[in-house]
Amino acid sequence: MLPAENILTTVRMLQDEHLDVRAVTLGIDLFPCADRDPDTLCRLARERILRCAGGIQEACQRTAQRYGIPIVNRRIAISPAADLLAGHSPEALLHFAQMLDAVAEETGVDFIGGYSAQVQKGMTSSDRALIESLPAVLSDTTHVCASVNAASSHAGINMDALLLLGRVIREMAERTAERDGFACAKLCLFANQPEDNPFMAGAYRGIGEPECVVNIGVSGPGVVKRAIERARQSGERLSLGDIAEEIKLTAFRVTRVGELIGREVAALLGAEFGIVDLSLAPTPEIGDSVGEILEVMGVRHVGGPGSTAALALLNDAVKKGGAFASSSVGGLSGAFIPVAEDAALAAAVEAGHLRLEKLEAMTAVCSVGLDMIALPGDTSAETLAALAADELAIGVVNRKTTAVRLVPVPGKRAGERAVFGGLFGESPILAVPNGASDAFVALGGRIPAPLVSLNN
Amino acid sequence: MPAFIVSVTAPDRTGIVAGVTAALRDLGGNITHLNQTVVRGYFTIMLSVDLPEGVDAEAITARVAASAPEGELRVGVMPFREGAPPVPSPADRFVLAILGRDRPGIIARVTAYLAEQGINIEDFTATVVAGDLVLIFGVRVPASLEITHVQRSIETVGREFGITATLQHENIFRATSEVRAVRTLA
Repeated sequence: MLPAENILTTVRMLQDEHLDVRAVTLGIDLFPCADRDPDTLCRLARERILRCAGGIQEACQRTAQRYGIPIVNRRIAISPAADLLAGHSPEALLHFAQMLDAVAEETGVDFIGGYSAQVQKGMTSSDRALIESLPAVLSDTTHVCASVNAASSHAGINMDALLLLGRVIREMAERTAERDGFACAKLCLFANQPEDNPFMAGAYRGIGEPECVVNIGVSGPGVVKRAIERARQSGERLSLGDIAEEIKLTAFRVTRVGELIGREVAALLGAEFGIVDLSLAPTPEIGDSVGEILEVMGVRHVGGPGSTAALALLNDAVKKGGAFASSSVGGLSGAFIPVAEDAALAAAVEAGHLRLEKLEAMTAVCSVGLDMIALPGDTSAETLAALAADELAIGVVNRKTTAVRLVPVPGKRAGERAVFGGLFGESPILAVPNGASDAFVALGGRIPAPLVSLNN
Repeated sequence: MPAFIVSVTAPDRTGIVAGVTAALRDLGGNITHLNQTVVRGYFTIMLSVDLPEGVDAEAITARVAASAPEGELRVGVMPFREGAPPVPSPADRFVLAILGRDRPGIIARVTAYLAEQGINIEDFTATVVAGDLVLIFGVRVPASLEITHVQRSIETVGREFGITATLQHENIFRATSEVRAVRTLA
């Protein structure tokens, strides 16, 4: 039998510290369903999704009960829709998205992702059609999530696509004005988008992935925070290296839980087990926040001096612990700082400690990017594109994933509050300082890929 | 070779195991299984030993007791009899962890429930940490039982005593505590 102390540590993680599996995401290859006739395509895709994912509710429930670990979200990620529906009309795209929404309802999943396009170097007419369909699709559906990879370290940044997306984001916000522009929370723009990410809105089933694959997103900011607190309360004098060690050990345990659950769910569904995404994904609940971790490390206010360094330590320690725990690690794998979804970050914005510029700096050392950022409703398409370009440039140059989820909240100004509800949380609206850069964005074209030598 | 189950209890001190095992060796014995622990300063060992024909329980008791000053060891010996092997029924290992303020009767109540359900206890430790009782059971839950029902019943028993009781599959604890590949957890 295992030592009682080990058992108690695990019991504590589960009972008191919010350890859960945030997402079980089933990736499904839908390319075999491609057909010139949109009705046939929809029928085949629906049948295939039901065949692969029909049992996802039961599989998750059984596994969660057996191990006593809540599985918060079940999701489906499909092959990128822009490629699957290449050459189809805008009506066919909308029809397909409505089918996805209905099948999500039928299978009982929370979200279905993969309404996606990759346009980092250029846009096909199908990619453009998908992007232009986003306002209708994301305002008319509940469960569908979309993502666009608009930049990569190999291709650079597609500024034409970003400006188009800036306009699309504004339209999406307007169409869901009564919900503070909520449709925008279901669209994620990426640099170096991972193909096996289980987290929404950016999950899709990548081209090089297995036919049917289970990817797992664990949560655990609460567990990490408590581990640091306990270590600090022990009376021992701790250095930052000691704190990194605590985080590493905790990340090890969290990752192992993810792999165990992932393997079991995959076996029950007859799918392959893919990866555990190590990301620390906060929820709006108090005690389940990445911001609070920085605070227990001694950063007085998130956004204050030391925030970026503390976050870098946290992010790296999580990866080290997780990488040792499992060889099947992938996705985004880093600490998330989605402002609206993290109570401490939202509070830091409210108190004026955390601004857009500092958030951007922090994303240089963690996952994911400017995520769930509520902006004034009059933020122009050009400014949205320029903000996105700044964030994606960090990913492109540092050869990492960065992402952008911006919500211009219709009719509201900086300092007012945007409320999205549930796991999407709420946040004060951040100010966009220093005027517009319309002329820069209007130049368009592509920012070339960065040099990989002369690394100074 | 006949086998015997031998148990020895005594106030703990250095050298008890050396004395007991030397006594068994001198009788020509070979120890095949052994478990030893110390509870509140009291030593207990339980072992199975193969011995040559002709050595009986009385001789073993006398020789083992003589390995220490008179009256120090309490020795119990019984012959091992190979019974019919228990019919294997599919049953996974679960860990039942009970935490909370100590009160008389908790263990009796919990174990009565386990017995009623046909859940066998394979390991069990009880300690008190800072005034709180910590009970850890390694149990085998027959596959025929509905695990969520068992979990709920155990939580209810816990609530009667104002303690928390959780029953979870052992693999979750092994995955988080052991350095081994998760795929190898059966």
